[in-house]
Amino acid sequence: MDKIKNNSLVKKIGLNRVLLVCVVIVMYIAFAILSPSFLSYKRILDTLNYMYFLGFLALGVTFVIATGGIDFSIGPVMFCCALVSGYSLTNYGVPMPLALIMSILVGGAFGVFNGYMVAYWSVPPFIISMASMNIAKGVASVFTKTQSVSWPRSDAANGWYRNLVKVGNFPVGLVIFLAVAVVCAIILNKTKIGRYILCLGSNREAVRLSGVNIKKWEMLSYIICGLLVGVAAIFYVACYTTVQPGYGDQYNNEAIAGCVMGGTSMAGGLASISGTVIGVLIIALLQQGILALGLNKNYQLIITGIIVIVAVYFDVLGRRRKN
Amino acid sequence: MGEVILTMKDIDKSFPGVHALDHVQFELRKGEVHALMGENGAGKSTLMKVLTGIYTKDSGTITYEGREVEFHNAKEAQDAGVVIVHQELNMLNHLTVAQNIFIGREPKKGFGIDDKKMREDSAALFKRLNIDIDPAATMGDLTVGKQQMCEIAKAISHDAKVIVFDEPSAALTEAEIEELFKIIRDLRRQQIGIIYISHRMDEIKVITDRVTVMRDGSYVGTLITEECTKNDIVNMMVGRVIYEDPKTASLVPKDAPVVLKVENLNAGRMVQNVSFELHKGEILGFSGLMGAGRTETARAIFGADKKESGDIYVNGEKVTINSPQDAVKHGIGYLSEDRKRYGIVVQKSISENTTLACLEEYMNGLFIDKKREDETAQKFVDSLATKTPGVDQLVVNLSGGNQQKVVIAKWLCKNSDILIFDEPTRGIDVGAKNEIYKLMNQLAAEGKSIIMISSEMTEILRMSDRIIVMCEGKITGEIAIEDATQENIMNLATRDIG
Repeated sequence: MDKIKNNSLVKKIGLNRVLLVCVVIVMYIAFAILSPSFLSYKRILDTLNYMYFLGFLALGVTFVIATGGIDFSIGPVMFCCALVSGYSLTNYGVPMPLALIMSILVGGAFGVFNGYMVAYWSVPPFIISMASMNIAKGVASVFTKTQSVSWPRSDAANGWYRNLVKVGNFPVGLVIFLAVAVVCAIILNKTKIGRYILCLGSNREAVRLSGVNIKKWEMLSYIICGLLVGVAAIFYVACYTTVQPGYGDQYNNEAIAGCVMGGTSMAGGLASISGTVIGVLIIALLQQGILALGLNKNYQLIITGIIVIVAVYFDVLGRRRKN
Repeated sequence: MGEVILTMKDIDKSFPGVHALDHVQFELRKGEVHALMGENGAGKSTLMKVLTGIYTKDSGTITYEGREVEFHNAKEAQDAGVVIVHQELNMLNHLTVAQNIFIGREPKKGFGIDDKKMREDSAALFKRLNIDIDPAATMGDLTVGKQQMCEIAKAISHDAKVIVFDEPSAALTEAEIEELFKIIRDLRRQQIGIIYISHRMDEIKVITDRVTVMRDGSYVGTLITEECTKNDIVNMMVGRVIYEDPKTASLVPKDAPVVLKVENLNAGRMVQNVSFELHKGEILGFSGLMGAGRTETARAIFGADKKESGDIYVNGEKVTINSPQDAVKHGIGYLSEDRKRYGIVVQKSISENTTLACLEEYMNGLFIDKKREDETAQKFVDSLATKTPGVDQLVVNLSGGNQQKVVIAKWLCKNSDILIFDEPTRGIDVGAKNEIYKLMNQLAAEGKSIIMISSEMTEILRMSDRIIVMCEGKITGEIAIEDATQENIMNLATRDIG
């Protein structure tokens, strides 16, 4: 084990991520053996579909968790974005490009609200995200008069937005997702925003006493998260078409599970975008695997729950050993 | 001194990459106060953790009361009568004193807790130690000194035969230290063996019978305190003679301009009508007892806490400081007394900590210019002689003294002209302490102005050009270094008390 740990390549990539990639490979092989249909190209595309929206959620919440905060509203807010913009599109005749922008802006608005409350009013992130989860569900229900909304199919007049996910059989969505992930990684590791977010997640008082406007940077992390949630909504409807008000809670846990599995510490200060990407891939594989094996969907809830606990346990263990 | 109660022989302990203890020996007699000294990282704490079962030794033997023992955890050691009074207080502030002392082993009464018995037992314990504390008082209301007394009482209530004091005086005032010593002398009379870890040379001379010195994880030697001088001990610790010479006269020219003027500053009970001036190139010592309001004054000036009223002038110009941001903008830097909580971001690198206050200057468009940042960090590592393998090193891996240098580098990098050093050498070993002193003198000589808050009298007398003394939130006097003595400072520091 020590030999592997000290390998220069492993050190560079990080042991955690090497292990995660191994997990992905093992899962894929295991599912392929248990269910040969898993090898089909369609299944791969299905897995990717599930990874896109979940991935954007997870990228967003990575920024929030990096500050030591948490956001349990991302799933319902994503549905709120999709419902509000989708309802405007279908019932008020808002043009498609505007609807897409609207989705991102609704997400951003929730980010501003959450961030402002946390940073300037010192409301605990847990509480405020629980509150905005309910607000998001409520807003979506009121706005749509509790109806589900179906976005245009690919053959409909406005169906071109689906090219964001797939052109023919080519997964455009993967390219966009990875590009956004790279941008996120650059923001987190190379810019002032990322530096301050990570530092204040590690020791906010020290950063404040260094003369840094921590409120601004903390709020910004929630805004980044909100905008990415808006993007997630677009990819959700581009894959699954229909959204119903009152749902979305499940995706909170899955996105957060992807994050912490990837090595982002719930205590803040440590975050890895590449880890998050692999983390959500594992969650997506799991979801597809459970489907392919014909198991009850609820198993996924149980397994994701366990993943969160195990990942957080290892995070805590790692930090305790360091001290 | 009585018979030997504890012998540690050939204790060896390695961590990955570090040989923390290299065949160390230690002996303790009944009724003895035995100092354990050494620079940070010398292995004192590791040795004590091996003794109390927190770490498992790789080899060697521990003989306690004539039997070879091996404690597997702190509880086992405690039950056998070996207890440790930690440097950091482990008290629950919202509980009462009695509840704290008996936490985890509360006397039962039916299904509930027998609070009355707990208070009575605590009172009996305090009486035995001649401590005047109300067992029903809330812990958070006590001074740090009193809390420490409670910690000691708690240790003794375990029927201790060996007590380890890990830097007990670090947070205490001179008066409280006196009280602590009284208790230690009492314990000595009761034939309890005491291991005393401290960096303060003066205390070692006063309170201990023998001194064992460690260096780099090895045993250096044991001396009888009466027969050795301070310099003997220090030489054993570092292998070289140290200590910056004390100042006998102010080095500040008479006509040096005023860089910071504070007028009628008020911030709660701890800062009342504070007014003073700081001159260019001056080291202005702030002396006083713990809780005199010095840190609160510094934090109010720096904008870390809210102030009620008062004016601040920087270079003759009136400025508004409502947040640390404002203070930093006006060239003020604050080095907190609690480095880990307020000074450094421990999980980040030296580079990242160095530029924390002035990241704007290291931006290349949207991106951080990592190369230039590392170069600057390296420059400060060199000029401050920070011991580290590289600027990418996480600050958590540095010793206390080197962490302090990283905080200093942060403010030098920001080019702050007014530096507030709050207890700059707390928890730092002798060698590094001296380096910090040198550095401060050098900064002052270069024209930086320094406010130095310190609870160590020797530090105040050694470093200051001028001394301001505070007591209970007010400035009670100002003394030129030429006239300063321990006595007149202490008089001012205790003016309002009793």
